[in-house]
Amino acid sequence: MIKVIRKTALYAFLTIVAVASVFPLWFMLVGATNTTQDVLSSRLWFGSNLLRNLRDLTGVQDLTGALWNSTVNAVTATVLALIVCSIAGYGFEVFHSRGKDRVMSILLLAMMIPFSATMIPLFRMFSTMGLGNTTLAVILPAVSTPFMILLFRQSSRSFPHEILEAARIDGLNEMTIFFRIFIPTMRSTYAAAAVIIFMNAWNAFLWPKVILTSNASQTMPMLVSNLVAGYVTNYGVLMLAVLIASLPTMIIFLVLQRSFANGITGAIK
Amino acid sequence: MRSSWKIAAIGLVTATAMALSACGGSTQPSSGHDTAVTGDSLTVWAWDPTFNVYAMKEAGKVYQKDHPNFTLNVVEVPWEDVQTKLATYAQSGQLDELPDIFLMQNNAFQKNATNYPQLFTALTDAGVDYTQYSPSVVNYSTVDGVHYGVPFDNGAAIAAYRTDVLKEAGYTLQDFTDITWSDFMTKATDVLAKTGKPMLSGLSKSVDLIMMMVISAGGSLFTEDGKPVLVDNEILGKAVAQYQQMVKAGVFLEVNGWDQYVNGFVNDGVLGVINGCWILGSVQTATNQEGDWGLTNLPKLDGVSSATNYSTNGGSSWAISSKANFGLAADFLKATFAGSTELYDTILPSSGALANWIPAGKSSVYEKPQSFFGGQPIYSTIVDFSTKVPKFTPGAYLYEAIDALSVAVTKTLSGGDAKAALQEAQDAVEFAQQ
Repeated sequence: MIKVIRKTALYAFLTIVAVASVFPLWFMLVGATNTTQDVLSSRLWFGSNLLRNLRDLTGVQDLTGALWNSTVNAVTATVLALIVCSIAGYGFEVFHSRGKDRVMSILLLAMMIPFSATMIPLFRMFSTMGLGNTTLAVILPAVSTPFMILLFRQSSRSFPHEILEAARIDGLNEMTIFFRIFIPTMRSTYAAAAVIIFMNAWNAFLWPKVILTSNASQTMPMLVSNLVAGYVTNYGVLMLAVLIASLPTMIIFLVLQRSFANGITGAIK
Repeated sequence: MRSSWKIAAIGLVTATAMALSACGGSTQPSSGHDTAVTGDSLTVWAWDPTFNVYAMKEAGKVYQKDHPNFTLNVVEVPWEDVQTKLATYAQSGQLDELPDIFLMQNNAFQKNATNYPQLFTALTDAGVDYTQYSPSVVNYSTVDGVHYGVPFDNGAAIAAYRTDVLKEAGYTLQDFTDITWSDFMTKATDVLAKTGKPMLSGLSKSVDLIMMMVISAGGSLFTEDGKPVLVDNEILGKAVAQYQQMVKAGVFLEVNGWDQYVNGFVNDGVLGVINGCWILGSVQTATNQEGDWGLTNLPKLDGVSSATNYSTNGGSSWAISSKANFGLAADFLKATFAGSTELYDTILPSSGALANWIPAGKSSVYEKPQSFFGGQPIYSTIVDFSTKVPKFTPGAYLYEAIDALSVAVTKTLSGGDAKAALQEAQDAVEFAQQ
């Protein structure tokens, strides 16, 4: 009897948590099909305004351009960051020395500096280099982050050194070992890192907003921000834009969900 | 381990020093600009595609009629991002990416023009006739007697009420016209008792209504020489007391978010709004309430000899940057926003963008009856309101003062001592000014 009561309480609690987690997504989904008045009156079922919202959204904003820019920025930053940070993390662990430990300490301290403190010097640097309003200026600061290097370094610790030694005895050079043995073995870590980097790059707002100065280079978070900048907010259109902006990260997360969990916990396949 | 921390600390200090040394640059205001009209292209930053951006694009079309080669590149940048960009550009000393013209919130104009003079160009030689604007609006973009902006978006305050519900409670729009706040309290309390609905609402941490009361009575949060006066400020004290009285009586409903605020009057929860006239765009999204609204002036403060029924909230002005093609930018603004009734006649019906430029208010388009407001010619009425707003001294730290005042009002509403709370607010503003 006590067991049944416990289970009932547990399921009731989990149901409440699940509803609380899913509710914002549901509200966003149905809101995308409703009018401003419906959204404001918290209507919780689908309306018939989806096409009109889409027409209004594409009428005032360059949706396809923003999607394309965000995709290019996020995919390029993810690929480059995976390569750079994994090589750095691998190097710190496998070619270990006291000097590298000290460099790592400095890198970790750099994690404590908020972006807003480095933004102005960074802007000055990119402007002086003539990279203002370029995709390169958006991507480069995201390519190497202390957190990602730390993640790969920690994961490299669980990489068996016996495999490394066996590969060296078999005559493989260090680059081949990294690309043909380390990367396939650490797939979960790469998946976890890819999800985090992609989400950060896709959602990046402050830096792109400062460094980009033309409508043509606008990204999805900038587009969403534009929709709430006016005197009158069309909440149906806003919900639709937020839904579209959220879909890629949701899809990436769902596809890599299992690997993400393994990667974060440090599992090796 | 100790040595590794030392190296880390040295690294951090070096990085910080490099970061700081990268900041800086010239802080001198722009001078010696060329007033000759040369070139044929301008870049503009503005926010809101259906309002400011649209208005600017239409201005481009008007200017193109006499200047066929003219091209205008309007970049959509929300206000918060304009502020972030300007601060970043000014502090990094890299001004190359500045546009020719940018839109600036009136409340933030003086602070930016004072703190970042290197971003602006004085409009002394722009040829704009400032006598064709209300002094209260020109004052926002004037620093030490020098004009830095061309006023655009009208922020004149209006009171709009649900006349259909008022009628059921036994009142007309006339009963809420040219009244004092104590009259308003009496009538609004009666309406609340009869309908169960509050007359007004607003964000709980906003002091917009208090500021509108202060401005309507010719008050300010600063002296002419920029010193904050939140303590022993008779007009502010009366405005805060009036606001608290309304909240406690339930005739003013405090809400927690903008969507809740709009939802209140769009979905029958609240019977009116008092705000800048730009709020009318949101009011009119309730298409099922067409004909049920009426527009009038604000109540005025009791017992203040300078009190009026007219105020302002918000609004924005165009500024010419220090990197601009000044001659062309000045000629463009003079010929459009400071000189074209055709422009204002075009943008009013499509976007509701109201002129600060007084000659525009005399156009027949402004006189047109609006069915949503029971046939009232609301646009000419609002332009008329805007000419009656008392002159306001915004002060360079207006946003900081408003934030501090907001904290003080919240404290007094929860039972704190009003004088002590206002003293704390004044101390906070004085600290921000240091």
